[in-house]
Amino acid sequence: MGSAETHNQSREAVLARIRAALKAQAVRPEPATHSPVFPPVGKDLLATFHAACAANLMELVVTRSWDETAGALRAALTSVPTGEVFVEDAPELRQSVDSLETPVRWSSKGIPQENAVATITGCEALVAATGTILVASERGGRGGSVVAPCHIVVARESQLVPDLEAAFAHLRAESIAERNSFVGFITGCSRTADIEKIIVIGAHGPRRVVVILQMDS
Amino acid sequence: MRSSAAAEFLRKAAEKAADVAHRQTIRRNISSYDLSVGRGKLRFSDWEEARRRCAEIKWEAINHLDKYLLEFEQKVQARGGHVFWASNAEEARQYIEDLVTSRGVKLVVKAKSMVTEEIHLASALERRGVEVLETDLGEFIVQLRKEPPYHIVTPAMHLSRADISRLFREKLEGVTSDEPEELVAAARRALRKAFFAADVGITGANFLVADAGMIALTTNEGNARLCTALPRIHVAVAGIEKVIPRLADLALLWPTLATAGTGQHLTTYNTLIGGPRQPGEQDGPEEFHVILLDNGRTELLADPEQRDVLHCIRCGACLNACPVYRTVGGHTYATTYPGPIGSVLTPHLRGLEGWQHLSYASSLCGNCTSVCPVRIDLHHHLLHNRRNAVEKTRHGWLENVSFRAWRWTMMSSARFGFAGRVGRFAVRFVNKLGLSGTIIDPMRTWTRHRSLPEVPRESFRQLWRKRHGQR
Repeated sequence: MGSAETHNQSREAVLARIRAALKAQAVRPEPATHSPVFPPVGKDLLATFHAACAANLMELVVTRSWDETAGALRAALTSVPTGEVFVEDAPELRQSVDSLETPVRWSSKGIPQENAVATITGCEALVAATGTILVASERGGRGGSVVAPCHIVVARESQLVPDLEAAFAHLRAESIAERNSFVGFITGCSRTADIEKIIVIGAHGPRRVVVILQMDS
Repeated sequence: MRSSAAAEFLRKAAEKAADVAHRQTIRRNISSYDLSVGRGKLRFSDWEEARRRCAEIKWEAINHLDKYLLEFEQKVQARGGHVFWASNAEEARQYIEDLVTSRGVKLVVKAKSMVTEEIHLASALERRGVEVLETDLGEFIVQLRKEPPYHIVTPAMHLSRADISRLFREKLEGVTSDEPEELVAAARRALRKAFFAADVGITGANFLVADAGMIALTTNEGNARLCTALPRIHVAVAGIEKVIPRLADLALLWPTLATAGTGQHLTTYNTLIGGPRQPGEQDGPEEFHVILLDNGRTELLADPEQRDVLHCIRCGACLNACPVYRTVGGHTYATTYPGPIGSVLTPHLRGLEGWQHLSYASSLCGNCTSVCPVRIDLHHHLLHNRRNAVEKTRHGWLENVSFRAWRWTMMSSARFGFAGRVGRFAVRFVNKLGLSGTIIDPMRTWTRHRSLPEVPRESFRQLWRKRHGQR
């Protein structure tokens, strides 16, 4: 692009202005005590996550085996209109989805289409305190968790973390932000309150989010 | 310029203050907000500590701005993203205009972003023959009405559902009622095709995360996610003050922004984007451009007294808390950023000369300061702007003589007493003749809308002497 020159010029100019400005010292704000700002998260992460899902209008189904997970998937899809379902191409999902009778587009075969009726993906983690689903590009891409009216997440009990702080620690430990150009924290359904502050579910993204959580034991 | 913007402000303020329907709409919106925020704060065990910690995070970032911006830039470039530094609005617009022209772009979908309002991006692209569609519902509504956003978080706050229904019936298909569900569905249908057809998605950024080299976007509707997933080019525009040091800071900044902004504990979609589609990824744009905009921010940075204005995370809490904003409404300010933060910021971005009148659009009640999640000392900054304006303004001889006379009077007890007697007589005289508020009343600015209380015959000192003797 022909703007490379402007690019360099302004970059140096802005940096020079910043450095000149920062020569004058600003007063530090009143120091924080660094005591906790959120109430402690209960030991029972599943119960905490369950309550948070209810508050966020997300459906939670707890299963104990891959068979039960496949059954829960089938049940979740019964109320979805017929049409193409987009699925993250992961071995566990292959196992549960192969028994479904709906047309499936695997993420390895392309991006979710405009008329996809539902998407099924895994996740990186589930945050118990806030009822948040952590996804990244490698979980069905950027579109996999947002383009269809229904998003179904298949997760394992071991993926539950207590709070956002733990979620960021997990992100760092697993180098998720380094590996993916997109990381998303999803808390509830797509919504808007732009008309008279009245909450309407299902703006541009999913109006239904289902978490199928399989216990490890 | 100065007098016209100020006069226009007064004219529109008077008009809006008397508009009962407007008041009802705003009251309904803000009552609902207040209720929700009250509940939201209960999710914190120590909200005040959260505010202190957010202020610390932003202080750290702003006071090492060069270091964190360079770290951010290096990490974005390492993933194949482009970073463009713009000194002003013109440079930022030019870069994006060149980009859309060279890529043959026809349609742009935009997520909500105040900084793109600040640089008037949409109209510049439209002049180039590019169609620009706002995809946030509130922004979409005000775009259809050809209006600027009324509020930085709730752009269509000034409209009732009946207003929106009327607008949609005229411009969209399939609207028959004023049920919010139906209106939202109509907007969804109208924008759905655009997301899939657009060549470019333009967003702002709520934060620029230095240690990760990622931008953080917060939305409830999912529109910013579609804007950054489907089109082949993603352009993010952000003020340089948006940078924060660490990814982990978001564990506190996200809930605090959501709580102050809408009362939610977390906004539905908190998204991090660090570059274009990477090898092995199945979707995402081929190009990722971040524009780092100065546009007056370094001047604010150079003023250590007001530097903390750059801590602002644009939650809108000070607008909702402000008795002036609630009365005169967002459009009266005629600025990109209305309300207390706008009154503080605008004189820095557009010049103290033309915009200092906004420093007086405040009762100095301090409610804005008390609700600010990053503890910006807003109402004192309004006072600082007043002082700075007075220091920089050349005063007329009349003002100089008046103040000298006032000082001379105040320096002596006898002169002060005499002036009081004259004043009491004059006010009684004006009142008795029914001249109060008329064109010959020297206090007309005050008295044309208000009546003065009955002035007592005796001064405080006279009364005191009468009741308590000489001492």
